[in-house]
Formats: sequence, structure tokens, C-alpha cells
Amino acid sequence: MTTAVATIDHHHDPTTTTGIPNKKLLMWAFLASDCMFFGCLISTHLIYRLHPPPGTPPAREVFSIELTSFSTFILLMSSLMMALAVNAIQKGNLKSLRWSLLTTIFFGCIFLGCQVFEFTNFVHEKHLTITNSILGTTFFTLTGTHGLHVLIGVIWLTGMLIYSFTGRLQEKDAIDVEMMGLYWHFVDIVWIVIFTAVYLLEYI
Amino acid sequence: MLFPKHTQGLGRLCRLAAALGAASLFSGCYWLDSLNGPQSTFDPNGPVSRHQQDLFYVTCWVCLVIFVLVGGALAIAMFRFRAKEDEAMSEEPPAQGHGNPMIEISLIGVSVLALVIIAVPTFREIWYTYDVPEAEAANAYEITATGEQWWFKFDYVNETAKTVDPTGKAGTMMLSTANELVVPAGRPIKVNLRTVDVIHSFWIPKLAGKVDMIPNRGNHLWFEAEKPGYYWGQCAEFCGESHALMRFRVIALSPRDFNDWLSNQMDTARRAQETAGAAPAKAQFASYKTFKTNEIGFTDRYETSPLDAWREQQKAPADGEDVALINKGRELFNSKTCSTCHTVRGDGYFGTVGPDLTHVGARSTIAAGLLENNRDEIHRWIHNPNSVKPGNTMWVKGYLANNIKLTADDENALVNYLESLK
Amino acid sequence: MEALAKSDFIAKEEKAAKPFVLWRPSAKTGLISWLTTIDHKRIGFLYGASGLLFFIVGGIEALLIRLQLMVPNNTLLTSAQYNEMFTMHGTTMIFLVVMPIGAAFFNFIMPLQIGARDVAFPRLNAFSFWTFAVGAIILNLGWFMKDGAPDAGWFGYAPLTTRTFSPSHAIDMWVMGLQLLGVASIAAALNFIVTIINMRAPGMTMMRLPVFTWMTLFTSFLIVLSFPAITIALIEIMMDRLFGTNFFEVSNGGLPILWQHLFWVFGHPEVYILILPAMGIISEILPTFARKPLFGYPIVVFSGASIGFLGFGVWSHHMFTTGMGTAATAAFAFMTMAIAVPTGVKMFNWIGTLWGGHLRMRTPMMFAIGFLWMFMIGGLSGIMHAAAPADAQQHGSYFVVAHFHYVLIGGSLFALFAGIHYWFPLMFGRKVSEFWGKLSFWVIFIGFNVTFFPMHFLGLEGMPRRTFTYDSNMGWNTGNFWATMGAITLGVGVAIYFITLIYTYYKGERTIKDPWDARTQEWSLPNPPPEYNYAVIPTVHARDSWWYTKRHLDEYKKETSDHLKDDEGHGGIHMPFQSIYPFFAGCGIFIASVGIAIVDFADPAKYPGFWGPKVATTIVGGAIMFISVVLWAIEGNDGYHLHLNPDGSVRGEDHSHAKAH
Repeated sequence: MTTAVATIDHHHDPTTTTGIPNKKLLMWAFLASDCMFFGCLISTHLIYRLHPPPGTPPAREVFSIELTSFSTFILLMSSLMMALAVNAIQKGNLKSLRWSLLTTIFFGCIFLGCQVFEFTNFVHEKHLTITNSILGTTFFTLTGTHGLHVLIGVIWLTGMLIYSFTGRLQEKDAIDVEMMGLYWHFVDIVWIVIFTAVYLLEYI
Repeated sequence: MLFPKHTQGLGRLCRLAAALGAASLFSGCYWLDSLNGPQSTFDPNGPVSRHQQDLFYVTCWVCLVIFVLVGGALAIAMFRFRAKEDEAMSEEPPAQGHGNPMIEISLIGVSVLALVIIAVPTFREIWYTYDVPEAEAANAYEITATGEQWWFKFDYVNETAKTVDPTGKAGTMMLSTANELVVPAGRPIKVNLRTVDVIHSFWIPKLAGKVDMIPNRGNHLWFEAEKPGYYWGQCAEFCGESHALMRFRVIALSPRDFNDWLSNQMDTARRAQETAGAAPAKAQFASYKTFKTNEIGFTDRYETSPLDAWREQQKAPADGEDVALINKGRELFNSKTCSTCHTVRGDGYFGTVGPDLTHVGARSTIAAGLLENNRDEIHRWIHNPNSVKPGNTMWVKGYLANNIKLTADDENALVNYLESLK
Repeated sequence: MEALAKSDFIAKEEKAAKPFVLWRPSAKTGLISWLTTIDHKRIGFLYGASGLLFFIVGGIEALLIRLQLMVPNNTLLTSAQYNEMFTMHGTTMIFLVVMPIGAAFFNFIMPLQIGARDVAFPRLNAFSFWTFAVGAIILNLGWFMKDGAPDAGWFGYAPLTTRTFSPSHAIDMWVMGLQLLGVASIAAALNFIVTIINMRAPGMTMMRLPVFTWMTLFTSFLIVLSFPAITIALIEIMMDRLFGTNFFEVSNGGLPILWQHLFWVFGHPEVYILILPAMGIISEILPTFARKPLFGYPIVVFSGASIGFLGFGVWSHHMFTTGMGTAATAAFAFMTMAIAVPTGVKMFNWIGTLWGGHLRMRTPMMFAIGFLWMFMIGGLSGIMHAAAPADAQQHGSYFVVAHFHYVLIGGSLFALFAGIHYWFPLMFGRKVSEFWGKLSFWVIFIGFNVTFFPMHFLGLEGMPRRTFTYDSNMGWNTGNFWATMGAITLGVGVAIYFITLIYTYYKGERTIKDPWDARTQEWSLPNPPPEYNYAVIPTVHARDSWWYTKRHLDEYKKETSDHLKDDEGHGGIHMPFQSIYPFFAGCGIFIASVGIAIVDFADPAKYPGFWGPKVATTIVGGAIMFISVVLWAIEGNDGYHLHLNPDGSVRGEDHSHAKAH
């Protein structure tokens, strides 16, 4: 096994025509598709922001930019940990991989927790629900869809963490972690766009 | 330009040739009844539809020329290079040429040129048909058309009509009619397009192409009828169960006729008078015609000279009216909850869900342009609206929701009342 | 690197017996083999068979529509039934006929053309099919329920589709069904993209790809980038209907025009999703039967790419009458005219291909040339629509109906019919009778034109589409009558076509390998192709690689024997195991979708809180899907190895659980 380890080239897959691993290509293509998903949702939000019906509550009175900034920062940090995880498995360092994955999951959960708190706060304190205004409709749908992506990512990461203990995740499977990493970074970047378009825009 | 504006001679020639050319694509035009049916775009009666038709012929000609050239090349290739079946497999294959960039580039150039021929007038007409030309804007007459499932409401935004409010005091309100848009000929008409429910589309083929009525969106179109006439229109965007039955008419009148019509409309509902000497009309319910499902609701007097038929409709009945019966109808209009939805100015009815019926007797059609306005058809409509227009609001939210039952006598009284509202 | 590639095969030792849930089915015949298949050819067959089945359904709907309109003031159908007919006719023909038959060719032919043994992700491919099947069933469930089938038109404009105006579950089923079809299409398209980019045989550079494979690639990109738009639109309307959100709720400021934009951002690329595969098929058939290469291959490819690209910039030409304003209308009119150029270029190149060839007028060629004529008419009437002010008269009228049927029947369907005849010998080893094939072509061709040509005139005479009746005084009687006569003829032609096809499948004349003297790689295979496709992965030396190979047989033989040795050195041909989990995942999705779309929200008095039959069904279905996906991940992409004799027959199977490459 050790000889194999030394020769694994993580940037070239000899079995494919282009040298890019199939899974990586699949993920890139999927992310292109996902861009369109979020693009449509963000456009919907922005269009309704430009055409607010009378009686729409000003978004600034609803949002709490401090909390969201914090959770944004946490999500960015989780991306860093994800990058470390990919790096760890490519070096065959399973212990480091486990810690990085665990931290990523932990940060992901904090982000989700913040979102749950934010949602309940908006509904109960600020009286913004998914049905009572178009702002609520687009806001909850957009950020909820993003939250769903984070949740799927957390479940996926957890599966990987388990695999790293059972021995099914080894250095030669680095592509699986790398593929997951692409997804996680994408979800992160999308959040930065959402954070800008939904939250920061209200403070300009 | 191939087609300068309003080129009568050349335009007509081209139209004829294009029609012949297109038709001769297949042997003869045996399937065509005519090219000037009531909703034919081949028979424009106003500047907007004429411009649209001229543009259509530009595109039609360019496309025909392309078709002849490309199709000709294809036909030659098909016949000239056809192999004899038996030698096809054994013979040497032809030269394995891979293409010729020069031919490709020149063909691309030619296609771009052909598209420019279409593009230039297209852009010109986009601006022309969008809104009333500046020069004529002051002369434009403004109307708001509202689509509802499944009829059209027309509000004359600048006309104030007389009414009597519930306390008996005289008042005014905006003039509103339904399903028949009466406009002055020779003046640009600007129509604001609104809807109260789903998306509809406002289309009078002989006067102007369609523009949609979309919720939360302020659309408009303009048209002008060059001469007095009676024009057919229809909803052109699928809007639910009875979309096919959502029709309307546009009646263009000379300015004087229009003013006469307007002053009659401004007035409150007509009250029938006993005419001395004339025998009161008999109770007619026994003689009402029965109709099959989906049977055409028109007689041919609207095919020969619809405008005359419409004018005829404006007149009060020559034979006497049964005033008692009409008064009973007026009472029933209230007690059978018709007045919840319909307005009859002067009779104290102010419903706004359904069409304004103040002068319904003077319209040439009822049920959104579907039925000719005569006693039999009115009876057909109020007897069972659902059999005429499935799923309509009057049936679902009126007859069914309020459990309305009309006896033959009730129907007879209501028919006489509605007919008297000239 | 070499060490790694080998280590996979050697390092794996037999593990302890697997738990029952991870049982890998290996049936090669019977029901289980079809439910668990991951063979791209079998999946292609399943797509094709479902497509043809739904073609009969959609065809019956079309005939009922035409019979209703045969005479004015007809009462064969009520307005409600008629609305269901045209809604389901459109939805069926687009999503359940043309797309799956296209997908059948993508699946069956594309991997063969690039010299691959399967697609990149075989189980994902099976999942795509089962999701498609579930979506198709959900869409059609309404016929068997009292709610009825969907009835808001195939583009389901809000707010007609909101709960206020369509209270029954029919629209829920439409929304759910289309969402599933979107998921299925995206998953399949991702797979094709990876396959084409990454699984090409040695020497098969991008510019040597058969044009059909190119068009598969473009179509897949269009699917991946355009379906999200409709999925989001459908999610929004679904949220409105289920949870009372305000996306299209007019009274709370919803903008129904947004639905139109989202729908057509998908809808126009969808048009090219329907026509690009057809163009690919035509670009294979014409060179084969003209016996010369495609004229201007690079230009055909690039025009395909520019059609795909421009296809995203023309969506609002479906909305010329929505009052977009002058500048937007002009911009979209301009773009629409621009997209005609690459389309026209393809037409020139096809004629250039025929020019100087030796044309053999076999049945596939008849359909292909029929395509050229009909698509030309459809394309030209499309250019006429680009002139927005003229379109104001044509939009929503029978002129449009005529236009898109010329593009979709005369275009897509003729090409698919041509493709079925063309590849039938390869797929099943039998050839369709020339006489019956040509007879069906002529009946279809004549019936089609008699049906749809008069519709141009009906539209220009002011007949709006989607109307269940018309009055006899509108001047539309003769046109409608002939259109119905044509439709019946078309129905007869299609019936001849189908019966011939079914007869040929069972009893048709057996054919030799490569009966058309074709040009592309798939024809190098014996027919029908074996499960592993290529005993030896071919090496490609030229565009039209099989044509080249046939003329360099010595070189080919030497290469083949070298490669065979190589393959054995790698441990034989790797074959993935079959899997039942894609099917189970599909079942879970079905249950969850029924929960979301059809089961009613519970009466709160009976089921306090959130719990009720709707939520329960959805969660049960979701759980089945989730567990299936987890097991799918756990079972892994294991496979076995085939060892072939030098003549290509299977010497033995090696089931020592080797992992995939």
C-alpha cells in the first residue's frame, strides 16, 4: 500500500480522457446547475424588492445584521476547515482529516442554529412570516433553500466522518472529500451572495 | 423600403400575390372559406392592424424567397444526386469533400442581409404600434378595459353618467359597459388593459394585435377604426374553463352617432311606458325557443350587415311593452339577488361583480359576445347560464351559492325587464 | 499511476459475506433484471419504450382535440375535458415523448459513438429513468381521479394555477410531475456531460465526435442550465398552493409576469432541447445515406453551440404581447432574428452534404429529408414571429400552433422516427421493411401537412388557440375540417409506423452488421451490441471513425489485438454490478410526491398540530428515498470482470468484488 500512496496523483486521473476525475466533473456541472437555481431565487427576491406592495415591512427593521454577520463568518471559517480536510486526506493524514471534518460539521451546525434562531425570532418577535408579506415569502424561501443545502452538506460530511473511522475513506478516496469540498465552498459562496443581496443591500 | 406606409396599390398587389403564393404551396386553397372572416387579419380596418399586416407581408415575402431558394437547392440536390438503388452499395462512394468555408461565410452573409430586411421595419413598427403617435395624442379617446372570467368590462374613464343613489338623490358615476366597446371612428383609442383575476388578452384582429391583461401590471394598447363598423374580438390568452366563450365586439361610430349613443348611455335606465293604443305584449314563456348545448347563438342578420343590426337594437320596441311584467322583473332583479352583482343605474342597483346592465337591451350581444341579444337568447342565458358558459361566476357564485330558483313566470318577467333596458 | 490502477484489482481481498440489504442482483433476464439494470442500452430501451407508449397517449389526446374541432359548435368534449386534453397533450408530447425518445438515443447511442462501455455513473442513470417514470405517472394520475387531469395549459400561467382559480389537485399533480421530470432530466444530463467529456475512446478528440454526440452535449448543457428556472418557478407555485406564500398571490403584491419570465427562461432553451437531438440525428443520417462526410462539420458544431448559447437570450419572444415596452421587445426581436442564422447555417450544411453525394432513399433518409423540408417551413414561420408587431396578430393563434407543430412534428418527431429506423438494425439486429417504412412515411407526411398547413390560415383569420369551440360564422369551418381529416390520416400513418415497428421487433428480417455502410463508431459493433459494448476499446484516427476503420482494416486488427492484451493485463473488462436502489429511491419519491401533491392537509381537529396523512405520507416516502440513497452509497460502485476470448465471446466472469476504476 505504501508504494501506492507515494504515487497517487490527486490532480490527474489516468482513467479519464481529460484527466479530471469523473466525480469532480459531475460536481462542477451540478454546481453550474445549482447556480441557476439560486440565481432564479435571488432574482425573485430582488424583483420583489424593487416592487414592494404597500404595507411591506422595511427589511432593516426585521433583520439583525450582527447575528447574520457572525453566522456568515462562521460559515466562512467552515470553508477553511473544509479546505484543510481536503488537504489532510490528500496527504493521507486521517487523524487531521477527522478533526477538520468535525470542525466543519460543528461550524455548519452553528450556522444552522443561527438560522433557526433567526427564523423563530423573525416569526415571533418581528411578525414576519412566510405568508404575511412578499418579503417574508421570498426571504424564507431563499434563505431556507440555502439552509437546506447546508443541512445536506452537514449530513454528507457526517457520513464521511463515519466512513473515515470504518476505513472506507482513505487517501485513494481523496476525490470524494474533494468533491464534497467543492460543494461546501459553493454553498459558502452562495451565502456570501445572499448575504450581500438580501442583507447588506438593505443597509446601503 | 419594400413597403412604404400605406402603399395602397403596391400593398394590395403584394397581399394578393402573397396570398396566392402561400396558398399555391399546396395545390389550391380549397380549405379556405375566405380571407376576410369576422376576425381575419387579412382585412385590416385601422392603422395599427394595417402596419402589422404590412410587416407581416415583408416577413412573408422574405421567407417565401428564402424558401424558394433553399428549397430549390434542396430539390435539385434530392433529384440530381439520387443514386440508382441497385448500385448504391457496391459502387465507389463519391468524393469525400468536407465543406467549403467560403460558401459557408457567404451564405451566412446572405442570411444576415435577409434578416436586416425584416429587422428594420420590425423596429419601426414596434415603436409605432406601442402607443398613440405624439401628433394625435391630444385627439385620443381613453378607455379602460378590464378582463374578468369570462367577460370584458369597459370603463369610459372621462365620461360621467347619471345615476340615482339609494336615498333617491341624483348622482353621477363613471360610465361603464360590458362586452361591447363603442368608440368614435377616426380617432385613436387608447385602451388601458386591466384584469381582476387571471391573465386575459385583448384582441380585435381587424383593428389591432393583442396585448395581454396581466394582474399587477398596467398594460395598454391603441387602435383606430378608420371607418364606422362592427368588429369581432376575443380573449386570446387561456384563462380557464370558458376561455373559448370570452368574446366581445367593437362598434365604431361616426362622431355624431357616437355622441348620440353616449348621451343615451349617460342617462339612467330607461323606464318602459304604456303606449296608448298598442296591445300589451303577451306572456311569452311558452314560446321561448329551446337550444342544444353549445348551439350557435346568432342569426344571420349579423352576417349581412352587423352595424345595421346593431343600430336596430338601439331602438325601443315598436310593439307595446307589458309595463306590469317589466316592473315585476325589476322587483325580481332585486329579490333573486341579481342586483348584488349587477348595476342598473336609476333602478337603485349597484352591484359591481358582473356587467353593468343599465343599457343592456341596447347591446347586440349578451353573455360576453356569445349570444345575440334577443328574447330567446336572454331566456336561454338566465334559464341555465351553466349550459351556455360552463363554470361562469353567475352560476357558481350566484345561482348555486344562493340557491336561486326561477319559475317560468320569473324568467319571463326578467327577460322583459332586461329587454326593456335600451 | 500504473501501480494505483492495478492496486485496485489486486489489493482487494474477499470480505465476509455481505448483509442481505447489500445483495447485488445479477439477473440478466426477467423483471428483476429490468428493475435493477444499469446498462445504458437497456435504460435507453426503457426510455424509448415509455416515450412511444406516451406517444400513443398524447396522440389519442390530439385526435380527440381535432375531432372536437372538426365542426363548429361541436359537443364531443366539454370545455373542461377539452382543457385537460390540450394541457396534457402538450405536456405529454414535450416531456414524456420527445424528451425521453431523445434520451433513449442519448443513452443507447452516445456511449457507443464515443467508444465507451457505459455512461460515467450507471446507477445515477438508472435513477434518472425511474424518477422520470414516477414523474410521468404522477402527471397522468389525474385521469383516474375525480379531480381530473391538469387543465391550465402546458405553460400553466399563474395566477390561473393558484389555489384560488384551480382549487383541485390536478395542478398539484402537474407541478409535482414536472418537478420530478426536471430532476430526472438534470441528473441524466449531468451524467451525459461527464460521459462525453471524460469517457471518450483514445483518439476521439472533441473535434472528431460524431455530431449526434455533440448535440447530446449541447442539449445536456441546456438541460442543466435551463431546468433550474422551471424548477424554481414550480417550487414557488407549489409553496403558494401548499403553504399560502405570496409569490403569485396578486392581492399581496405577487407578480404573475414573473412566472412567465421564469417559465420561458426554461421554455425557450427547452425548444432547443427538443430540436438539437433531432439535428444531431439528421447530421448522422444524411452523410450515411449520401455516402459522403457532413459538409462543414466544424460549422455545424459551432452553430449548434451558438444556438444553445443564444437560446438563453430569446425567451421573451414568447411574451411579445405582455407589454414589455419598446426597447425590450426590440432587443428580443433582434436576438430572435439572430438565432435564425446558426439554424439556417445548419440547413445549408445539410444541403451541402447531399450535394454531390450518392443519395440512397431508404426509409431513414426519407424521414430525414422530410425533416429538412418541414423544419424549413417551421423555421421560416418562426422568423415571421420574430417581427414582434406582426406577432401581435399571430401570438396565441393557430398560426403559432401551426408553427410549433412544424418544428416539433416535422422537425423533432420526423428526426426521431428517422433515428428509430436508422439505428433499429444496430439495436435489435433486425431491419424495418422498406415498403412499410416508406408507406408510413408518406401517410405521415401527407397527413401532417394536411393537418397543420391550414392552421397557418386559421390563425391569420383570427382563430385563437385553446378554444374548445367556435361559431360557424367565423370562416374557420373548412380549415378545421381539413385539419381533422389530416389528423386522422396522420393517426393512420403513425399506426402503420408503430405496427411495422412492433412486427419488425419480433419477426423482422435479420440484418448484417452495419447494413447502411455507416460512418460512425457505433456501427463497428455486432448487432445487437453485447452488454460490455466494445470487446476492445477502439482507437479513433479520424472523424467518421468507422468509415476510416473500414478502409484501414490491417491497422485496426493489429491495434485490436494489442488492446485486448492490455485489457487482460488490467484484469479483464470491468462491469459494474446491477443495483435495486435507484428503483427503490424512485418508489420513495413516488410515495412522497403523492403525499405532497394529492393527499389533503388533515383536518386540524382530527390530527392536532402538524401531523396528518399528508405529512405522514411525505415523510414515509422521503425516508424510503433517503434510506435507498444511503444504501446506494454503502453498497458502492463494485463490479466484476469479464474475460473475453479473442473472438469476443465471454470466457468467464470474475466476481471477486473488484472496485471500479
